[in-house]
Amino acid sequence: MYHFDWQVFWQYLWPGTALANPLIRTGLMVTIVVSVISQFMGVVLGLFAALGKMSKFGPLRWLADAYIWYFRGTPLLVQMALLFFGLGVTHIYDFPDLHFLGLSVSGAIQAGMLALGINEGAYMAEIVRAGIEAIDPGQMEAAKSLGMSYGMAMRRIVLPQAAKVIIPPLGNEFNNMMKTTSIMQVISAAELFYAYTQINARIFKPFELFIAASFYYLAMTTVWSFIQARIEAGLGERKGEAVKTPGMFERAFAKGGH
Amino acid sequence: MASLAAPGNGSIDPDVIVKFEKVNKYFGALHVLQDIDLEVRKNEVVVIIGPSGSGKSTLLRSINHLETINSGHIYVYGRMIGYYEKKGQLHEESEKNIARQRAEIGMVFQRFNLFQHQTALENIIEAPLNVRRMPRKQAEAEGEKLLARVGLSDKRDQYPRQLSGGQQQRVAIARALAMKPGLMLFDEPTSALDPEMIGEVLDVMKELAKEMTMLVVSHEMGFARAAADRILFIDEGRIIEDTTPDELFTNPREERTKAFLSKILH
Repeated sequence: MYHFDWQVFWQYLWPGTALANPLIRTGLMVTIVVSVISQFMGVVLGLFAALGKMSKFGPLRWLADAYIWYFRGTPLLVQMALLFFGLGVTHIYDFPDLHFLGLSVSGAIQAGMLALGINEGAYMAEIVRAGIEAIDPGQMEAAKSLGMSYGMAMRRIVLPQAAKVIIPPLGNEFNNMMKTTSIMQVISAAELFYAYTQINARIFKPFELFIAASFYYLAMTTVWSFIQARIEAGLGERKGEAVKTPGMFERAFAKGGH
Repeated sequence: MASLAAPGNGSIDPDVIVKFEKVNKYFGALHVLQDIDLEVRKNEVVVIIGPSGSGKSTLLRSINHLETINSGHIYVYGRMIGYYEKKGQLHEESEKNIARQRAEIGMVFQRFNLFQHQTALENIIEAPLNVRRMPRKQAEAEGEKLLARVGLSDKRDQYPRQLSGGQQQRVAIARALAMKPGLMLFDEPTSALDPEMIGEVLDVMKELAKEMTMLVVSHEMGFARAAADRILFIDEGRIIEDTTPDELFTNPREERTKAFLSKILH
C-alpha cells in the first residue's frame, strides 16, 4: 500500500508554498510567456502560410504546402530536438543564452519557443484558411470592384470578418499550447513541468508532485476558458449578432485537440 | 480585319465609354462570349437580357475585369481594360493598374455584397478613405449625402444584416457612387430581392439613369421601358439583338428573342 505524502502534496500544490520555490515560480512564468509568444508566432506564421496556400503563384503555394505537410506530419518532440540539438551541433545557431532587460533566456527556452511557434503555425494555417474561405467571395469581389488591391481587400474586408471565425478555434489552440509547452522539459527548458521533474529528482515523490503539477495546468486552462468565453461573447455582442460557439463548460470538458 | 484595328481605337471618340472589339471568352470548352462587338456611349443606359447561362453576366463582369477574356479588346474611357498589348499579344495588367481602373467603374451585385462588419456609412466611405485617401470628414459628408439620395439617412449606423434586401441594395448603390464613377454596372440588381422591395431599388436606378452611363443585366422590363436607351438580347454568347426597348417589345427580329420574351413577359 502506497503511503501518499500529503505534506509534500500540499506544499507543492498550495500557491503560497509552491510559488515560494523559485523553480516553480519561474517555471510557471516561462510556461505562460512561452505559450503567449509561441501562439503569437503561430498566428503570424499561420496567416502567411494560409495566404501562401491560396496564392496564385505556384512556388509560394508549394512552400506553404511543404511547411504544413512537414510540421503537421512529424512529432513536435522530434522537431524540437532537431532544432535544439541538431542545429546546435551544426553550429548554424548554438542557442546561446540571451540577456536583455535584466532577463536571461536560455537557449533551450529559445529553441522550445521557436519549435512550438513554428509547429503551431502549421496548424493555424488551416484554421486561418478555413476562416478566410468561410467569407463569401462576394466580399472580395465588391472590394476589388471599388478599386482595392488584393492585399488591401484582405486586410480591410476579409480578415476582419474571418477573425470572428478564427478566434474560437484559436482559443482552443492556445489551450493546447499551454499544455504542450511541457514537452520542452525534454530539452531542459525551465518551464513548469521541468521544475516539478527537478524537484522530483531531489525528493522522489512523482505521484504527489505530478498531481500538483497537473493542477497548475488545469488552473491555467480553466482561467483561459473563462477569458475565452468572455472574448467570444464580446465578439457576438459588438455587432449585435449571435456567434454560435460551445459554452465555457462544454469547452472545458470537451474532448479534442490534436 | 477587325483584329488588326489599332489598339487604343476606343480613344478616338471621347463619348464612347465602353467598347468591345471581337471579344471572346471560354470557360473550358464552353464559348461564353463569341466575337462580341459593342459600343456604349456617354449617358446611355443599356439593359442586357438573355437566358441564364447566355453570357450576359460574364459580359458585364469583363468590363471591370472581374472576368478575364481570351481574345479581343475591351476599352473603358478609351483605355484597354485589364490588359496591355505588346507585340500583338495581350498581357494582363499589374494588379495596381487593374485596381486603379476598377476604381472608376461602379458595380452593383445581385447579392449586394455589403461589407458585413461595417455600418451603412462605413461601407460607403471605405473606398473613398482607403483607395482615394480622402479626408474622413469629407468622405463622411459625401457619404451622408449619398445615403440621403438613396433615402436611407436614418440607416447610417445600421449593419447590413439589420437592413432589408432593398435597403442593402440601395446602400450598395450609394457605395459604388461614392467613388464618383463614370460608368455603373448592375449585375441582376433586383434578382435576389423580395418582390415588394424591387420597386424601391428600381426607383433609385431610374433617377440615376438620367445622368449616368449604365449597363444593367436585368429582366425588369418595366425598368427597361422606362429608363433604357438600348436593350441587348444575348443568347449563347452572342448579341442577338441590339435595339430600343420599344422596338424589341413590339417588333423583335429573331425567333429566339420572341420565344424568350414570351417567357419573361408572362
